[in-house]
Amino acid sequence: MKIIVKKCVTVFFCALVATLGLSAQGNAEKSDSEIVIGCIQDTTGPTSTMGKMVEEGALYAIDEVNAAGGINGKTIKMITYDTKGDVNEAINAYTRAVSTDKVKAIIGPPIANIALAIAPISEKYSVPIIGLGVDPKCQQKTDGTTYKNMFCLQPSTISQGTIMADYAIKERGCKTFGIIYNESNAYSVSLVDPFLNAAEKAGATIVDKVSYNANDKDFKTLLNDMISAKVDAIYSPGYTQEIILITQQARALGYKGDLIFGLDACPPFNTLLGEDADGIYFINNYDASDPKLVSIINDMKQKKNLDITNKFFLGYDIGKVIAQSFTEVGTDSKAVRDYIEHLTNFKGMTGDITIDPATHFPTGLKMVMYTYKGTTPVMLEHYSAD
Amino acid sequence: MSLQIIINGLALGSVYALIATGFALIFNVLKFSNFAHGAMMTCGAFVGYFLAAGKGFGLFPTILISMIAGGVIGIGGEFIAFKRIIANHSSHIYFFVSSITLGTLLEGIVTLKVGANFYNYPRFFKVATINIGNIIISKSDAMMFCFSTMALLLLWYIIRYTKQGRAIRSVSFDRDTASLMGINVESVILITFFVSGALAGLAGVFLGINYTLYPTLGSLVVKGFIASVIGGLGSLPGAIIGAVFLGLLETLLIHTVGSGYAPALTFSVMLIFLLVRPQGISGSNIQEKA
Repeated sequence: MKIIVKKCVTVFFCALVATLGLSAQGNAEKSDSEIVIGCIQDTTGPTSTMGKMVEEGALYAIDEVNAAGGINGKTIKMITYDTKGDVNEAINAYTRAVSTDKVKAIIGPPIANIALAIAPISEKYSVPIIGLGVDPKCQQKTDGTTYKNMFCLQPSTISQGTIMADYAIKERGCKTFGIIYNESNAYSVSLVDPFLNAAEKAGATIVDKVSYNANDKDFKTLLNDMISAKVDAIYSPGYTQEIILITQQARALGYKGDLIFGLDACPPFNTLLGEDADGIYFINNYDASDPKLVSIINDMKQKKNLDITNKFFLGYDIGKVIAQSFTEVGTDSKAVRDYIEHLTNFKGMTGDITIDPATHFPTGLKMVMYTYKGTTPVMLEHYSAD
Repeated sequence: MSLQIIINGLALGSVYALIATGFALIFNVLKFSNFAHGAMMTCGAFVGYFLAAGKGFGLFPTILISMIAGGVIGIGGEFIAFKRIIANHSSHIYFFVSSITLGTLLEGIVTLKVGANFYNYPRFFKVATINIGNIIISKSDAMMFCFSTMALLLLWYIIRYTKQGRAIRSVSFDRDTASLMGINVESVILITFFVSGALAGLAGVFLGINYTLYPTLGSLVVKGFIASVIGGLGSLPGAIIGAVFLGLLETLLIHTVGSGYAPALTFSVMLIFLLVRPQGISGSNIQEKA
């Protein structure tokens, strides 16, 4: 009996050693022909509509690069990590990406809370994270210096808040505002002061400013005073689910004025709202009438039956920037980081991107104001973020 | 407090009343808190959503079928999670554990089926509001209030004046003696779970219409629990009183101290009730099993 057990154990260990040897050989072969990058996104959870789009856009860009021969004969392999909208999941995903999977660069999340959680940890490594966290705190420490690896490929909340306030006052003629924002969300909070400062600077009045929490679903009471005061516009920089409820509840209270929203009012907001979205004004990253964009929109509809949104093109641009950095400086993460820090005049789908080394945000990048006619998005005007 | 704030509070309270009543009904009969009630609400809400958004059903058939679906889920839940525990007179803690497990299971099934995204019910009204002078009432709030009131009045009538209602009250008072008097306790428990599930389905549809739909919608059951504690655990009138009180209190707190402090103060009120008057407003004093 003992002999049989010994033999079984010996055979098991031999098989185990052989398997490990073969898999290691497989990995070695893979690493010779592939450049691995990470994509840390909310592909499930409350903000998954954004994360999935960033992932799809990045994949589209990577597929284009690989189809054109890759980077010096090597293909780019993207590993996606789901954060589920949870900061702890995001930290685990980031640690796994840089320490186990040894990724060369990371496509970061569009969620400020997630980027804020990763930022301090990212200092210990040398892997650049090119993301979309628009709160300046995602890229900059409290002393004003930048987190060395954290980058954002769209204008900061300072630029976006200022643009929205300027548009509402100069183009819509709004003089009084109500502000309702999510105090537990870094993105939402960081969009309040820039808007408020720009509005007050232009002579507008903030009649009422109220905050809500992540779990709040009934905003009628919070909206009551600003609607009673008959404000010209309500500004609400929140996530899609929140601004859908705010729209519905404000309209249910008889409010007929303007609603000014951030990027989260971009499509698919109009289809998720379930009613006409007239009177809503929102900021966007791109001009949807651009022929290059239209061809990709049609291609994705044909290939995957996907109605792509602004986050797709942001993901696409990040994918292309990473690919260009590999072509220019090779696959050393430090060199890639240095290249991105000094990225100049990159022709992206969302505009000409030049990174400011002092802030790690694009400088001079234009944004676009939109509205809805019924449920159809209508482009209004280009604005320079500066 | 303006009349508009009171109306907002009553609308909120009527949703809490539906949650609290379904919750209190189970407690009343079986003397345990069914924490799977929230997940049953979610299931009912999603059934309604797929009927309304996918099949184009109107409001009334959507509500009716969601209530039936909620009732069936309630019976299924009883069969899976509680039947053997009740039959074996098992330890009290198993009711608590089993209800939490059932809730997690149902929520998991919903998440697997629909993903973790949120959904939005189609609009049932072309004009969303009713204007009475300076007061604006949301049609969905008014409808929710009317339906809640009708459902709760019907429940009150059934429990008070029908044979089945008397059986429910008897089982609630003393299960063993009711059994000796010839009452089929098992079928009474099944009916109780069906009614509780139907109320969960109704509450789920209204929550979905008013607050969008997502797999963790059932977490709002906590409000129903607080309302039950304030009203008096196990008391149906108490659950309604507690729910309306909670709705008005929350609305008043949000209006005066803001959204940040409102939840903390709401829980503080519940703690004060537990310390000062544990039997709640209605004076019901049932010892909970788990």
